[in-house]
This record gives sequence, structure tokens and C-alpha cells, in this order.
Amino acid sequence: MPALRASQTFALGLLFAVLSYSEAFAHCFVGARFFPATLAIDDPCVADELSLPTISWEKTADMPPASEWDASAEISKRITEDLGISIGDTWSQINHPGGPKMAGFADLETTLQYQLLKDSDHEFAELLGLIVDWGGTGASNSGIGTAYTLLTPTYYFGKGFGDLPDQAGWLRAFAVTGEIGYQIPSRSFDVVQQAAVPQAVPWGASIQYSMPYLKSEIQDLQLPDFINHLILITEAQMTTPAANNFGNSWVTTGTINPGVIYIGGTYQIGLEAQVPVNRESGHGIGVLGQLHFYLDDMFPQTVGQPLLGPKTAAAQKPNF
Amino acid sequence: MRNPMRTLLVVTSLVLALGASAARAHAFLDRASPLVGSTVASAPHEVILTFTQNLEAAFSTVEVTDGNGARVDQGKASVSGNTMRIGLKAAGPGSYKVNWHALSVDTHTTQGAFTFRIGNP
Repeated sequence: MPALRASQTFALGLLFAVLSYSEAFAHCFVGARFFPATLAIDDPCVADELSLPTISWEKTADMPPASEWDASAEISKRITEDLGISIGDTWSQINHPGGPKMAGFADLETTLQYQLLKDSDHEFAELLGLIVDWGGTGASNSGIGTAYTLLTPTYYFGKGFGDLPDQAGWLRAFAVTGEIGYQIPSRSFDVVQQAAVPQAVPWGASIQYSMPYLKSEIQDLQLPDFINHLILITEAQMTTPAANNFGNSWVTTGTINPGVIYIGGTYQIGLEAQVPVNRESGHGIGVLGQLHFYLDDMFPQTVGQPLLGPKTAAAQKPNF
Repeated sequence: MRNPMRTLLVVTSLVLALGASAARAHAFLDRASPLVGSTVASAPHEVILTFTQNLEAAFSTVEVTDGNGARVDQGKASVSGNTMRIGLKAAGPGSYKVNWHALSVDTHTTQGAFTFRIGNP
């Protein structure tokens, strides 16, 4: 019941946020390049967006492996043109074969982000963020939440290759994004688990091929409209132990996720396979799917504007 | 799992319904004449750009330059609905670049550039 109340409160909070805020704009455009919201890692822009829901299924690294479902939601809102905040949470259910079923919310996660750079000519963006997983806000009794807080300062970047010479042709539709952080727990020892709480380096990257970019910037091959809305993507999401890892494995864990994202007018839909990079990362291939809304397009005069400051750089006349 | 999933479903449906009633979006280039990246046999009289959204005429522009960077357009684009067009001066064989900026009617800006060639296809 507490979990249900939490979910209802969160849902109402999301609705309140969507309905009540006024002002803002823009998802991740950098010059002619559009970076989609990636599923496993974060894109390199502050934005007004809503991921609802993100759902994944995988077999854990346990022996025998457990089956894990995760369902999450996250809302991102710009405070100023370059400063934004995200709030999200994940509900998990873990079924151990012949064993107990665990379910509950993970710790509430907030992220404060600052847009360092958007270089339109070179399709290059940089972002700094501070991720906080708030200890004690999740189902720590079932091991899904934790009693301690995690702080993760993170650097993000995105680079499109549209600035290559025209001779590069279709290669100009490629882009890469990445992120790297350092995760610092508020405690070095977990009394419940009787284990050290390691510091770690979460990192990830994506390589993307944009069919919309190919069509509008390089060559219109007059492909079916559906194809022209696709971004082919492979993401990697990893965690490398860094310190205070006594008694634990030092192996890097994570998944590589090949998939595709469909870009609609006000939303995108993404679907990826999750391939564990080693035995410590899971068993078999999992699935990750997400429905994502561009709030700046859905509500351009209200939610799609920054909370503070000028109403985005919309009405600027081009210089030619 | 049932109750949290049901809550997610309800909220997602509400957001979809709200979005569908108010939705507009960024103006993407939907098609161009001459086609993006194409080679045409003879010089076109104008470049026509069609976008996925209606445009604000005062803040939507396009220019066309030749391989030396010199402008070959007639200087003033016309905008009607989701279409922007600009006349061209007499142009010979070669590569031409089209640079555009668009402001959709809901104040979202987009920009882009592409080339086309005049010559033997």
C-alpha cells in the first residue's frame, strides 16, 4: 500500500507539473542537428520533456538469474534557458525463480543540469549535471532502494558530424553522445548489507544515424515517410568500480543497446535490446522501451518555456 | 505490478490527450525543389522549401549561394503557410548551397542547409 500511495502521489505530481507551469521551449536542437532523448543514457541538453513510461525487462546476474521488470517516469523542466532540473523514479519487480518476489520503488532521483555550450556550426553540445539519488525514499527494506544517498556529478556531450565536408556524403548523418560521472555515496559502509558501498564511475555513449538528417541535409532518397522519421542508435551504459570496493568485484558492468527511435511531431518512441557485456551484468538479452514527450512542442506557450528569464530565443531574425 | 502500471497508463493517456489537443511542433524541412542533394540538368527558376509546420514570414529566410559563396538568389523569400520560396538569378553548372532558417507559428526555430548541383545527372 505505501508503494501504491507513492505512485499515486508521483502521478499527481507529474500532472500538476504538466498543467500548472507557465513558460519555456526547445528540445535538443544544435544547429541543424536534433539529438533525440536516449533511453539508457541522457542527451546533452536541458529541455522540457517527459519520459512516460520507460519500461525494461532483463534477467539479472544472480545465479539462478531473476527476472526483473522496471517501469519509470521522468520529467525535465528548464528553470532558465540553460539551467534545468529533472525528477524521476523507478518501480521495480524482481522475481527469483522459486524464491521471493521483491517489488517497490527505487530511490527518488533528481538531476540539476547546466548547459555549458551549444555550438550550432559544429553541432556540438556540452552539459554538466549533478544527479542525486535520495537515500531512504525507496523500498530499502526489499533492497531496491538504499538507505544512503548517491551524488553523481556528470559531464555530457553530443557531437554531430554534419560539419564534415560535403564529400563525406552520408557519413554526415552520424552523431555521437556520451556521459561520464563519479558516484559518491553518503556512506562508505552499508550496515544492513554488511558491505562496503563503493564509489564508481558510471559512463556511457551512443552512436546515432539520423534518417531525418540524411533526408533534409544530405540527400533526399525519397524513402517511405516512416523510414525518414527513424534514428538508428546503439547505446552503451557502463559502471566501473573506482574506490572503497572491498569484497566486491572490480569488473565493469553494463549493457550495449542496439535499437531504433521513431521521431514524431511531439513525441518519440524508442525500442532497444539490452545485451549484457559480461556475466556480472546479466543473463541473456533484455528489452528497453520508452515513450517520450516533447513538452515544448506540446505546450509551447506554457510548459514549453523556461520558468525564469526571457521567453527563449525564438523571435530572433536570422542574419541573412 | 498491477497498480503502479495502471497509474502509469492513466497518466500517459492523460498526457497524450492533452498533447493531442494542443500540439504543434518544430518546422522540419519536409521536401525541397530541387531535391536535397540532387543534380538537375537545367537551372531552376526558384528554390521551394516545404516544411512540416506553418511558418512566420517575418522570421523565416533562405539564401542560395554558389561554389564561391556568392549569392545567386533574388534576395527576398516569400512565405505562404508551410512553404518558403526564393527566386534564382541565372545560374550555370556547378554546386549550390541552400541555407534556411525557419520560425514556426508556435515560435520554434529550426535551421538547415543542403546542396544541389546543376549539370549532367
